[in-house]
Amino acid sequence: MASLTLENIKKSFGAVDVIPGVDLKIDDGEFVVFVGPSGCGKSTLLRLIAGLEDVTDGDIRIDADSVAHTPAADRGVAMVFQSYALYPHMTVRENLSFGLENIRMAKPEISRRVSEAARLLQIEQLLERRPKQLSGGQRQRVAIGRAITRDPKIFLFDEPLSNLDAELRVLMRVEITKLHERLGNTMIYVTHDQIEAMTMADKIVVLRKGVIEQVGAPLELYNHPKNLFVAGFIGSPRMNFVEGRIDAVGEGAVTFAADGLPPLVLEGAIEGANIGAAVTLGVRPEDFLVTDKGWPATVSVAEQYGASSYLHCALPGDRPVLIHEPGQSKAGRGDVIHVAPPAGRWHLFDADGLALRKA
Amino acid sequence: MSAGTQFAAAAGAAVALPARIVEPFMYGLQRLLGIKRMPWVFLVPNLTAVVLFALLPVFINIFYSVSGSDRLYPWDRPVVGGANYATLFDCDNFLDPSTCSRDLFWRALGNTLVFVPVQVTAMIVIALLTAICLNRDIRGRGFFRGIFFFPVMLSPVVVALTWQWILQRNGALNGLISSAGLTPVNWLVFPNTAFFWSVFVTVWAHMGFYTIILLAGLQSIPRDVYEAAKMDSATPWRAFTRITLPLLKPVLLVVFILAVIRSVQTFDELYVLTGGGPGSATMLMVQYIYEVGFAAQPRNFGLAAAASLLLGVALLIFTAIQMRISRGGKDD
Repeated sequence: MASLTLENIKKSFGAVDVIPGVDLKIDDGEFVVFVGPSGCGKSTLLRLIAGLEDVTDGDIRIDADSVAHTPAADRGVAMVFQSYALYPHMTVRENLSFGLENIRMAKPEISRRVSEAARLLQIEQLLERRPKQLSGGQRQRVAIGRAITRDPKIFLFDEPLSNLDAELRVLMRVEITKLHERLGNTMIYVTHDQIEAMTMADKIVVLRKGVIEQVGAPLELYNHPKNLFVAGFIGSPRMNFVEGRIDAVGEGAVTFAADGLPPLVLEGAIEGANIGAAVTLGVRPEDFLVTDKGWPATVSVAEQYGASSYLHCALPGDRPVLIHEPGQSKAGRGDVIHVAPPAGRWHLFDADGLALRKA
Repeated sequence: MSAGTQFAAAAGAAVALPARIVEPFMYGLQRLLGIKRMPWVFLVPNLTAVVLFALLPVFINIFYSVSGSDRLYPWDRPVVGGANYATLFDCDNFLDPSTCSRDLFWRALGNTLVFVPVQVTAMIVIALLTAICLNRDIRGRGFFRGIFFFPVMLSPVVVALTWQWILQRNGALNGLISSAGLTPVNWLVFPNTAFFWSVFVTVWAHMGFYTIILLAGLQSIPRDVYEAAKMDSATPWRAFTRITLPLLKPVLLVVFILAVIRSVQTFDELYVLTGGGPGSATMLMVQYIYEVGFAAQPRNFGLAAAASLLLGVALLIFTAIQMRISRGGKDD
């Protein structure tokens, strides 16, 4: 059980600054997910915390102790690797106990911890098998078990589910969340899958090019993205964006205009809205409601999921938008529907991509 | 079109033309012989080579070992039964070669029994250490990989002559030693130093080959397994003994078998470097066989054949044991 503080962490490989400077505080017992596109530095950040890479500058503190220059094994962290990284020549039992033997733990204690971890992960019947005799999901459990036996202060997960098939991924997602509830340890989880981030995290850290774009609870990020990048990255399918300008600012409403589109009155007030300012309007697919007014959208493809429908449409000026309609849509290919976001269910971003705060 | 598909298309065209001629011929042959005999048609070319150049010599060798005189053609040679073997084993005390009628055979055997374990051990240890170093992220890694492999490409005679030039009384090494103000040593004249340099030179000449095999083995061990071991508090030594060695076991076994066979066969380098001397201090089995059968007058083919057959049987037994062990290793 521990908190983690990153203070101005920098990491460069040669002349390349992978992480130009990160400050982050993770509280005791939190489940934090680092998310971002490939190459955003999320895995590097995890490896820096693990001690598998040396920091170029800055400090890492676990509770009050600086561990930036402590060997990986002595930091009290355990890591679950993307590839599982099980020892192929050892049985599951040996895989689980290897780390404990290395610190010369007493045999009875090792055996107690191994059976406890095996029971927790329901791999007791696999203890005498080798990794190659296990399925992907079972290997994943063993990898997690290996981390559990070490009883670490902090668990680190590096894209642990990316090698599993879709169905198993959903299952393991739930299991890891349950495991976190049961163990209560601080866990840091790296993924490029924003659904994993949304469903598992207490707190999401969105990274891009080694820089933290936003930190917050999943729904906070979903509802109040700080900038265009977060708005586009969090949420699937992604938010629709339309570039334009502010045409008028009224009492509790803003009028948005774009070339070739009729002006759209957005209900809800924002701070610092200047008439004529270039802005980008962001509306999530489920927030574009089909109404009798609003923008005309021509349906090009209607995907019927049964419980809901996705309408791939084009606004005038060939602006693609995706509309998520609950239930089974009656719209078909070539139909023109009218869409507009309801009060407050829209986002405006200034020319620098920063969100205009709602008043 | 990518280079690969272009190549495949070109190869296809090259095959297509002869196929037009070969195919009807093969079909005709199949009609003539029947389909059950067809495999033999494909096997005969290789089989002929194996029979002519491997199997037949073995049988000729067996016949030579049980026949006498210095005549070359088998039909001129009288059968003497086990006389050649009896001569080789004619000893008052097997532990003292000077009590044997063919003392050189026993000395060569003794030398080989010391040389092979020492040379193979040194070879594997040094090749493994080199491979581990070359597997790290060191500057000029490609250059060093090339350098260590370089001696493998040299002719054994070139290797031996080079080292003779270095080690002889007025050689390069003694030049260095005397310029440092120390007393030169006549390296190839004393049995112990000559033996040491025999091992050294053969290891130097061949280790590059084994280094490459071991390097490939090391590279097949995933990096994150070592990272997991690091997180698991494994010291570098423990990671080596508990991760590297077990995962390298299959490759080590191959290297071991190849190195032993190669070591037992050692002849050319030492024949040129030391000539088996001083005295018979560095004479190994293969050189003994060569000298008895071809260099000495009269040529004693029978004795040489008997000795080489014994060597062959010894290698066969060794390989069988190794295969058993390696099969045992596969099961677990």
